[in-house]
Amino acid sequence: MSDSAILEFIQQIINGLTLGSIYALIAIGYTMVYGIIGMINFAHGEIYMIGAYVGLLVITALGLFGVESIPLILLATLAISILVTSSYGWTVERLAYRPLRGSPRLVPLISAIGVSIFLQNYVQLGQGARDVSMQPVLSGGWRFGPEDGFQVYLSYMQVLIAVVTVAFMAGLTLFIGRSRMGRACRACSQDRAMANLLGIDTDRVIALTFIMGAALAAVAGVLVSMYYGLVNPFIGFLAGLKAFTAAVLGGIGSIPGAMLGGVVLGLAESFASAYLQTEYKDVVAFGLLILVLLVRPTGLMGRPDVEKV
Amino acid sequence: MNRFNRNVLSIAVSAAILSLGGLAYAEDTIKIAIAGPITGPVAQYGEMQMNGAKMAVEQINAKGGVDGKQLEAVLMDDVCEPKQAVAIANQIVNQKIKYVVGHLCSGSTQPASKLYEEEGILMITPAATNPAITQQGYKMVFRTIGTDDQQGPTAGRYIAEKVKPKKLAIIHDKQQYGEGIAKEVDKTVKAAGIKPVLFEGINKGDTNFSALITKMKKEGVDFVYYGGYHPELGLLLRQSKDQGFNATYMGPEGVGNKDISAIAGPASEGLLVTLPADFSTDPANAELVKAFKDKNQDPTGPFVMPAYAGVQIITDAIKGAKTDDTEKLAEYIRSNSFDTPIGKVAFRDNGDLKEFQFVVFTWHADATKTPVKQ
Repeated sequence: MSDSAILEFIQQIINGLTLGSIYALIAIGYTMVYGIIGMINFAHGEIYMIGAYVGLLVITALGLFGVESIPLILLATLAISILVTSSYGWTVERLAYRPLRGSPRLVPLISAIGVSIFLQNYVQLGQGARDVSMQPVLSGGWRFGPEDGFQVYLSYMQVLIAVVTVAFMAGLTLFIGRSRMGRACRACSQDRAMANLLGIDTDRVIALTFIMGAALAAVAGVLVSMYYGLVNPFIGFLAGLKAFTAAVLGGIGSIPGAMLGGVVLGLAESFASAYLQTEYKDVVAFGLLILVLLVRPTGLMGRPDVEKV
Repeated sequence: MNRFNRNVLSIAVSAAILSLGGLAYAEDTIKIAIAGPITGPVAQYGEMQMNGAKMAVEQINAKGGVDGKQLEAVLMDDVCEPKQAVAIANQIVNQKIKYVVGHLCSGSTQPASKLYEEEGILMITPAATNPAITQQGYKMVFRTIGTDDQQGPTAGRYIAEKVKPKKLAIIHDKQQYGEGIAKEVDKTVKAAGIKPVLFEGINKGDTNFSALITKMKKEGVDFVYYGGYHPELGLLLRQSKDQGFNATYMGPEGVGNKDISAIAGPASEGLLVTLPADFSTDPANAELVKAFKDKNQDPTGPFVMPAYAGVQIITDAIKGAKTDDTEKLAEYIRSNSFDTPIGKVAFRDNGDLKEFQFVVFTWHADATKTPVKQ
């Protein structure tokens, strides 16, 4: 490979990792809910969309007040968006799942689709159906490579996305692995009825799962508004679909699996655009999913369901 | 009378009253459906169309309407989606509306036009530019805007004769409008001896184009033609600038509105856009332009005047042909010419304008545009 081909390869890895980080953050919401209650939360894409809207609104509002410090903007926006978005996540669980606990699995599925349609239209009515855009808060980056040839470009925003994603993933892993609530989560995912008998408030654990999933979707939403600067009420559908694919690819129910799935999917899309045609990006992404499921039906890191006697 | 009979009777009576109401209503106004995106990602174009058409309806009514009857504009939202467009077309059929000004997006105009043709509804689109729409052999379908096979060659010739790029890339959004126009540009530049280094489609609604940009940067592309609408191009421009990919971009009228600058910011400076000539600078339209400005509406959008012209042609035809038989009206429109804000227009047999001029503009970061010296 020539030098510029190697540099291009590196650039595509950077592109893919950035995209993958966002997918991974959203994918965790799907995988956690599935891990605990064995159902797919179809309103999760819309939760992410709300996170992106709140992010964009807060950043714009801070701009009006003349706040210019990037760390302050980031922290304030993350905090507010997580707060607002997780309350939506909690509400989804409260309205669409909890009243239907114990009913056949298809019922909450339909109610979640209902919530998804409701949220999309609710944001459309409240914020308008048009694209809302803003100018980048954080621009610039580093360039590597020859002055006259192909230069690899790593923007501050891409680094920020990677750092924030890793930080939240690490936080989540610690929380699930070390804390009391995390232990309750793991217990519920192993056997909900038994956990309940042993005195764990399973309703609370389930609510917490939705809240944490929504919080991570909010983080993804804020990062996306900062990176692309463009949101509309329809972004949740495509992002939700991709993240769901990432979750299944990595092994639904497994948190590290969702992280891995997101990154693999991001890289696959990036390389397909780069070395095939951009048209084939989704073909490759979904083709990969089919391949993985053929070889490992439980996904990359999923554990096979043990039949409980 | 048992309960069942009573129910049947009451339904029959109310149905009769409803249909009477419909008849009485149809007597005193002429309804014109204005169909296009009122909501959705390209609603700003719909606004241009609605403003233009509504202005025509108001002004014609103020002058006494058509043969004593007032016009009534019925706004219909198709969100620029083919499925929704067909649903709307069915509503128009059911409401027995005989005239449509719309739709806006080519992808939604085409399926809707089939219904209008079948039902004998007169349709004039002020915005859909895909050539296929008037190649279906339909009698009821007209347009007051140019087509991609006029716009594409204008862009293609400009690229081949003025820009002469070393490496040209053509990108489109895989939609009927975007891909159609990209193919026309491709054809024109190839005829002039320029072979694009890549011709690729992206997904409508995509937000991350970094992989594609890296590839174009690697190929050393210095000029990009984009067939599609502004949301995707805005992000392409912005991410290109971020990655230090400094090619010049060019697009069709679907990217030429102020939102491109809102999304891309400084990266929208220097973008080239083919647009219909700016009818609002025509001195003959001074009074009309003032009427728009009095209502705080922008008369410069590419679809405002064509929509106005659409309504006007329908009413002129009703006056001229002295009939409301849409088949005779279509015949009348085909064989006469009309004085409209977009100039004196006459139609070809397929419903296209005999002449329509596209002009290349340079777009600026403050959302203004200046014509390029040819």
